[in-house]
Amino acid sequence: MKIIVAGKGGVGKTTISGTIARSLARSGHSVLALDADNNPMLGISLGVGPERTDELGTLRQALESGEVAHQPSTAGAIETFGTDAPDGVRLVVLSRIDRADPG
Amino acid sequence: MAPAMPLRIAVAGKGGAGKSMIAGTMARALARRGHSVLALGTDAMPGLTHSLGAPPSLEPALAEAVEPDGRRWRLKKGIGPVRAVQRYATTAPDGVRLLDCGTPTGRGADPVYASISAFAQVIRRLEDANAFRDWTLVGDLAAGPEPAAVNWAPYADTWLVVVEPTWKSVLTARRIARITRSRAGKSTLLVMNKASESGLRAAEQMLGERVFASIPADGAVIDADRAGVAPIDHSPSSPAVHAIERLVEALERASIDRMVKS
Ligand SMILES: Nc1ncnc2c1ncn2[C@@H]1O[C@H](COP(=O)(O)OP(=O)(O)OP(=O)(O)O)[C@@H](O)[C@H]1O
Ligand SMILES: Nc1ncnc2c1ncn2[C@@H]1O[C@H](COP(=O)(O)OP(=O)(O)OP(=O)(O)O)[C@@H](O)[C@H]1O
Ligand SMILES: [Mg+2]
Ligand SMILES: [Mg+2]
Repeated sequence: MKIIVAGKGGVGKTTISGTIARSLARSGHSVLALDADNNPMLGISLGVGPERTDELGTLRQALESGEVAHQPSTAGAIETFGTDAPDGVRLVVLSRIDRADPG
Repeated sequence: MAPAMPLRIAVAGKGGAGKSMIAGTMARALARRGHSVLALGTDAMPGLTHSLGAPPSLEPALAEAVEPDGRRWRLKKGIGPVRAVQRYATTAPDGVRLLDCGTPTGRGADPVYASISAFAQVIRRLEDANAFRDWTLVGDLAAGPEPAAVNWAPYADTWLVVVEPTWKSVLTARRIARITRSRAGKSTLLVMNKASESGLRAAEQMLGERVFASIPADGAVIDADRAGVAPIDHSPSSPAVHAIERLVEALERASIDRMVKS
């Protein structure tokens, strides 16, 4: 199944996504948790910890630096690129805004 | 009352941190202290309308200020910040004017994009508009670091970053503050929201710095929200509203200090 979580700021999207991902993993699903927020905090709700969450590389960076460019498919990129969270959840962060846009 | 020295403030922070509540209550409190206040709703969500107690407006009104120009929109002839505020701003209690970038209506995206484009063009001209030189500007930004990164408040000289005592909020606030501090000539101040006294210390440790002000968790704010009434009207003597009044006074003092130094 594919689940998208949306809603107003601060209503609990990330908390609910992280908890759904963990509980699905616990009941035997292979779970890919995709953080599509450009302020990615899903790692915290998944139990990856604040420091690591703050420093996780993003798929965008990896693609731009050529780190995963040789991957033949998105699936391959996710495979090589994701981070392991507890209960075997695979976490992939798409992008992060962390500097002033010069333009 | 002597005309107050104008302030230029942008309010940023994580989703749900309390940006709109604080921006709206600040705008009202500033108006009561003699400021001419223009509130800027830079988030396509109606949070600021509620916290100001402004009349709800269903139309993205500013959309009428622009006309198509190829694949973009440009302000119609004769429409600058003054006209835009005259025609499209609503009026909240205490005389606060609210210019809002527009809320999606579900009738297609076009009016919203037109409205946001008009809004972006108006605020870019605001800093140099003589007619607003003596106005206090308070901008309520969308959640997260993006509005700071692309500078959705070019008029602001002070960024207030609202932070709750949680890791997600702290990491977000740190990231926003790093971005706003990378630009010269702007002051960035952290404002704790919804913390208890003991929670404040712990959160300052997480942040790695002291906050400029702290606004306590206050059931009156939630009651006001449920009742659909501005906190400053619903519970004018609640701890949160009092704390925001003190915050506003501290900002006035900080602004005078900056003037004296420069
Ligand atoms: N059921 C709940 N009970 C109590 N607190 C909750 C609940 N759900 C979420 N929260 C808290 O609410 C805050 C916001 O949650 P979260 O970060 O998940 O929201 P979000 O919708 O992802 O926010 P953003 O719009 O910033 O991405 C967090 O501090 C979280 O711990
Ligand atoms: N000091 C406080 N005490 C208790 N509740 C508060 C306080 N400040 C804000 N709230 C509540 O927190 C919720 C979020 O506040 P608000 O809408 O102002 O946040 P926001 O940062 O503007 O959110 P968004 O990211 O969606 O724009 C609201 O329900 C509000 O009533
Ligand atoms: Mg979130
Ligand atoms: Mg808001």
